Amino acid sequence: MSDAVALDIDRYAHLESPVQRWDPRFKIATLAVLVLAIALLQTLPAAGLALVLAAFLLGLSNLPARFLTHGLGFVVVFLLPFFLVMPFSYPGAPAFELLGLPFAWEGLRLALLIFLKALAIVMISFTAFGSTRFDLSMLALQRLKCPSVVVQMLLFTYRYTFVFLGEMRRMYTSMRARGFVPGTNLATLRIYGHFVGTLLVRSFDRTDRVYKAMLSKGYRGELHSLVTFQAVPADYVKTAAGLVLAFLLLSADRAGLWVRAETGWF
Amino acid sequence: MHISEGILSAPVLTAGFAGTAVLAAGTMRRLDMEEIPKISVITSVFFVASLIKVPVGPASVHLILNGLVGIVLGWRAFPAIMLGIILQAIIFGHGGVTVIGVNTLMLGGGALVAYGVWQLRHRFHLRQRELVFGALAGAAGTISSGLVLALALVTTGEAFHAIAATVLAAHIPIMLIEAAVVGACAEFLQRIKPDVLAGQQLPRQRPVADSATPPSRE
Repeated sequence: MSDAVALDIDRYAHLESPVQRWDPRFKIATLAVLVLAIALLQTLPAAGLALVLAAFLLGLSNLPARFLTHGLGFVVVFLLPFFLVMPFSYPGAPAFELLGLPFAWEGLRLALLIFLKALAIVMISFTAFGSTRFDLSMLALQRLKCPSVVVQMLLFTYRYTFVFLGEMRRMYTSMRARGFVPGTNLATLRIYGHFVGTLLVRSFDRTDRVYKAMLSKGYRGELHSLVTFQAVPADYVKTAAGLVLAFLLLSADRAGLWVRAETGWF
Repeated sequence: MHISEGILSAPVLTAGFAGTAVLAAGTMRRLDMEEIPKISVITSVFFVASLIKVPVGPASVHLILNGLVGIVLGWRAFPAIMLGIILQAIIFGHGGVTVIGVNTLMLGGGALVAYGVWQLRHRFHLRQRELVFGALAGAAGTISSGLVLALALVTTGEAFHAIAATVLAAHIPIMLIEAAVVGACAEFLQRIKPDVLAGQQLPRQRPVADSATPPSRE
């Protein structure tokens, strides 16, 4: 079934730190630029610097390290095949043969570059959304001209995720109590199909009640909040620093000081 | 299946965002106020259902269910999957923020293909029509997502051709699992509450200019 997952991304948003105090609008905009710059890096030293920068930001935010284990674990699992496949499939002349397979250092370098960038981006993204209350992040997105409909649906979806996670766990407990043991067979898959179907039927009945409850509270298809954002000089300073770092990182990467990990890349 | 950060080249990432923006705008046309909470609530069901792990021998895989989203929400499956992808990027760091476009295009596109396959059932008269076409839609959703993913890798560079083939091959067992689960679910819903399924009537013949008009459900 599912392991215990923590869905509340903002459970450490109350911690005190310069990252938590950063105005969410400025924080999200700045870190988005930084993440894009990192995604475009092509050299290993620049990607290494990006990882150091991400670790620094994470340290600054006081978020506990275990907060990131799940996200970073995913990156490792997803990228492991790259380390296994790319050195042996890189086009061009291989450096030597390993167990009869042609091994190219360029392939390993490329896999390493991807790995460093992915780690840095995931760390920054967790820092950005982990250090702000979820509703404030969404409101900030709306102020940053994200379509209101999308922001509203993100808030609703997030909110009901907790409801259905609880429901799913209760249903699963009762299945286990009746003797269900998952295995690699068609019967298990069929039961999971019915399981998801039951969840859908229950949610379908609920959507109507949710909508009526919202109407009765005056819902008109718009999102209102009592929160107002107030930027202070420190927010501008942090944002300027972030943008300068993003620019420096990308220009150092493109200046030709270091060898590119993959010559045919854009 | 998501693609992770740091792999794809800038043109591929940009194309992902552009394609997602176009398809999202197209599939969200004439969205009623009423649909906002409805799509959201159903999206959260799929979001938690994608946490379900199915044992495969000693390992396990997560359900994707993008085909099922297609047969439940029809055209609106695309925005629903976009929401799911954004939330997964924010909450779990699965995929990531720069690949939201590519991932949405991959899984949301698969959902639309699945919906297309699902609608074909009206042309056949089988006894277990919903089971068969649910399974086909589940398989079509998975494999078309796998193809988009492989295409994104192949267009990023020659160095990624081998990994693209590996990824596509890994989609075959996942496709079989999805087909079984989605087929069983479609058959179940048809028996218990057919309203949940999209496209219960034959799609009406519309003039070509109006073909992007969404809902066939209500």
